[in-house]
Amino acid sequence: MEEFSLSVAAFYFMAGLTLLGAGGVVFTENIVYSALSLMVSFFGVAGLYIFLNADFVAGVQVLVYVGGVLVLTLFAVMLTHQIAEIEVSNKSVGRVPALLICGGLFLVIAKALRGAEFFTTPGGQVSESSTYGIGNLLLREYILPFELASVVLLAVLVGAVVLSRKEVIAPDGTPVPERETIPLTEGQRVMSSPRAALAGAAAKQKVSDV
Amino acid sequence: MNLSSVESLAYSLPELILVFATVGILMLDLLITRKRILGELALCACGGAALASALLAGAEQGYLFNQMVALDGFAIFFKLFLSLSAFAAVYMSLGSRELDNEHPGEYYTLLLAAATGTFYMASATNLLMAYLALEFVSLTSYVLTGFIRASRRGSEAALKYLIYGGVASGAMVYGMSLIFGLAGSLDYATIGERLLVPSEANGPILFIAVLLVLAGFGYKISMVPFHMWSPDVYQGAPLPVTAYLSVGSKAAGFAMMIRFFYVALSHAGAGGVWATIEGLEWPNLIVLGSIITMTLGNLAALRQDNVKRLLAYSSIAHAGYILMGFVVLSDAGLRAMLFYIATYYLMNLGAFTVLMMVLNNSDREDMEAFRGLAWRGGALPAAAMAVFMFSLAGVPPFAGFIGKFYLFAAVIDKEMWMLAIVAALNSVVSLYYYARIVRTMYLDQPLKSDPVMTTDWHSGAFAGVLAVGTIVFGVYWRPLIDLADKSLVFFRG
Amino acid sequence: MQFEYANVLVFLGLGLFLCAFMMGLGSLVRPHNPERKKLTTYECGEEVQGDSWINFNIRFYLVALIFLIFDIEVAFIYPVVAVFKQWVADGNGLFALTEIFIFISILVAGLVYVWTKGDLQWIMKVVVPVKPADDPKQSQSPKVGGTIYVAD
Repeated sequence: MEEFSLSVAAFYFMAGLTLLGAGGVVFTENIVYSALSLMVSFFGVAGLYIFLNADFVAGVQVLVYVGGVLVLTLFAVMLTHQIAEIEVSNKSVGRVPALLICGGLFLVIAKALRGAEFFTTPGGQVSESSTYGIGNLLLREYILPFELASVVLLAVLVGAVVLSRKEVIAPDGTPVPERETIPLTEGQRVMSSPRAALAGAAAKQKVSDV
Repeated sequence: MNLSSVESLAYSLPELILVFATVGILMLDLLITRKRILGELALCACGGAALASALLAGAEQGYLFNQMVALDGFAIFFKLFLSLSAFAAVYMSLGSRELDNEHPGEYYTLLLAAATGTFYMASATNLLMAYLALEFVSLTSYVLTGFIRASRRGSEAALKYLIYGGVASGAMVYGMSLIFGLAGSLDYATIGERLLVPSEANGPILFIAVLLVLAGFGYKISMVPFHMWSPDVYQGAPLPVTAYLSVGSKAAGFAMMIRFFYVALSHAGAGGVWATIEGLEWPNLIVLGSIITMTLGNLAALRQDNVKRLLAYSSIAHAGYILMGFVVLSDAGLRAMLFYIATYYLMNLGAFTVLMMVLNNSDREDMEAFRGLAWRGGALPAAAMAVFMFSLAGVPPFAGFIGKFYLFAAVIDKEMWMLAIVAALNSVVSLYYYARIVRTMYLDQPLKSDPVMTTDWHSGAFAGVLAVGTIVFGVYWRPLIDLADKSLVFFRG
Repeated sequence: MQFEYANVLVFLGLGLFLCAFMMGLGSLVRPHNPERKKLTTYECGEEVQGDSWINFNIRFYLVALIFLIFDIEVAFIYPVVAVFKQWVADGNGLFALTEIFIFISILVAGLVYVWTKGDLQWIMKVVVPVKPADDPKQSQSPKVGGTIYVAD
């Protein structure tokens, strides 16, 4: 029984981590902390997947969500204007109605779920990694979704890039054909990365100090 | 027949054409400088897909790709319809001045990608496939909505669409997961079999699951209360995209919804009458949705001055009308739905085409842009618009009237008087705002400042074809209703 | 299988414990007299410039986005690769290879696209119009005049 209780304790730890992270996302007023709380939640979910014997999905959760989506979220957060003024960034409003609606929904779903008899397939403990099963399914039954996923990814890539790309449009509104560009001489080089801008500002300040 | 992956390829020519064109246009965009050819290529691809879909009509019915999608009359009807919708969207994009300075390569790539997604929405018989297709269409639609980045309204619309879509599809996938848990299968036919045995314990959770899935469908077809995104998105998106969302993406949503509710959650009885699985009275839910949707859409449309926004609310109202055929659980209802969706294509796309001509001419899309349109060189567009407006209102002898007639017939046949009466009242209300546009075009005199209406021949020709179609199918609708009748075949293994 | 992952949990706990332990130990033994200069962030000996929470450049986002797409691609390819050997042994290797090939080639189209469009280039060409006064020939229609390399 010792092993059993340890596993239950680990489950509650992971579930607690997930909820704690999710709570942090919602209740922190600082949007950067919100994004970081999301990471805690993602890790917790990855742990829960392991309890469901879905080790591959857990791996993907860490690889894609923690490694990719979260980084993207942080960049998006850092792109917001007035990021320094954190007080305005992430106010939560209407807590009471939200609590009533979400609490009510939770109670209804929980009540319905408690009585439900889910479909179960006979089978004991799954021992091998689920990666092989998923691989076989992707090549056999789910080959169409697998291939379609690549087209979805392509479309999403194109769409995301075209929306977030920085571009210059000539004053009369005509787009500037890229082929007409001429390289500029060294003197016209413009540095405008945040760091460079700060360095430039600092240099100016030093000059004025003298 | 139940084909595996390689054999299925022979039957998925329409999708293959679209995918090849999607990737091809993206690559060609990098090579050529004359960008107009990309749009023409996309037009050819849509035409090719329509032709290929029509050629599938005689093929044997069955499952493709290991039961992921079905090849049946219903799927082929929608494939034909959806490729024609994409064709219209591409054609309108070519004539739209709004999109002149935008990236054509990416635009047509995304439009064709969305069209590919709608094809799979209409034919998916597996929850995973259906969800993937729905997400595919949604993701591309978000980008297309905000495609004109200089337009702040467009960006706002895209963001609203994204947030709303994210919530709706999250709810949907949760509902699907519950259904998978209850039925132990993602396949529609298997779900239908397993849920057929009524279970006292599972009733509440199944109801919640269906409600959650309905959120996803409702969002796609803009059914109240999941419609909130549509006025802003329709107004903010580039006009050809709005036209596509209101016809193509909506029809795909209806197709997916019909297949899910009828194949997975109902079973066919004798004489074209369907029965829901026991303990799950989803039609009652949707009757309510239908009534509220059409009423809210029409009442909100009364107060609109922006014609694009007016058409958005009108599109919500029409979703309510189409749902009338959905709730009666009979082949007559489904047939009426297919017929109505087809006529809606003609009249709604027509209205958007005329709006685009006005927009191209005056850079405005409000009611005043239509002032005295008939008396300042726009006699033909005004006449076409009048046809579309009266048809949308359901006035004979136009196609919209016949569509409504079949819907009402199906509802009255089922003795759902309440629904019929509300729908009739709504039709009367809608006549007011449709007629208002006609009145503005004919009875108001143009001011000196109003520009003379000039139009290019290809937009005019397109509006003309749609107007003729609206009139022809209002007088001789036999072929279309026969086609809808023949298309009511769902392959269930 | 869950037992294998218990290792991960143990390591996680150990890591957290060691962090807390070391820092706790440090705070017990070290002298504590803060002053303004000491409390500033250490930035390789340079003087600290402003806050670390600044508006990031959009290019970070774009690159992260492209990364994410290919990250997901890896997640899809990985299980297929895991069973590939078995498929080859069963004589279906060519089929599996073709499927992966199609999957990757569609995504490579995306890579070609972002590469050719210059989205992977950190130093971007930005086109600026020349002022009419600079070039009388071009004053009729504002046209492209030169390129400025922007280093962000």
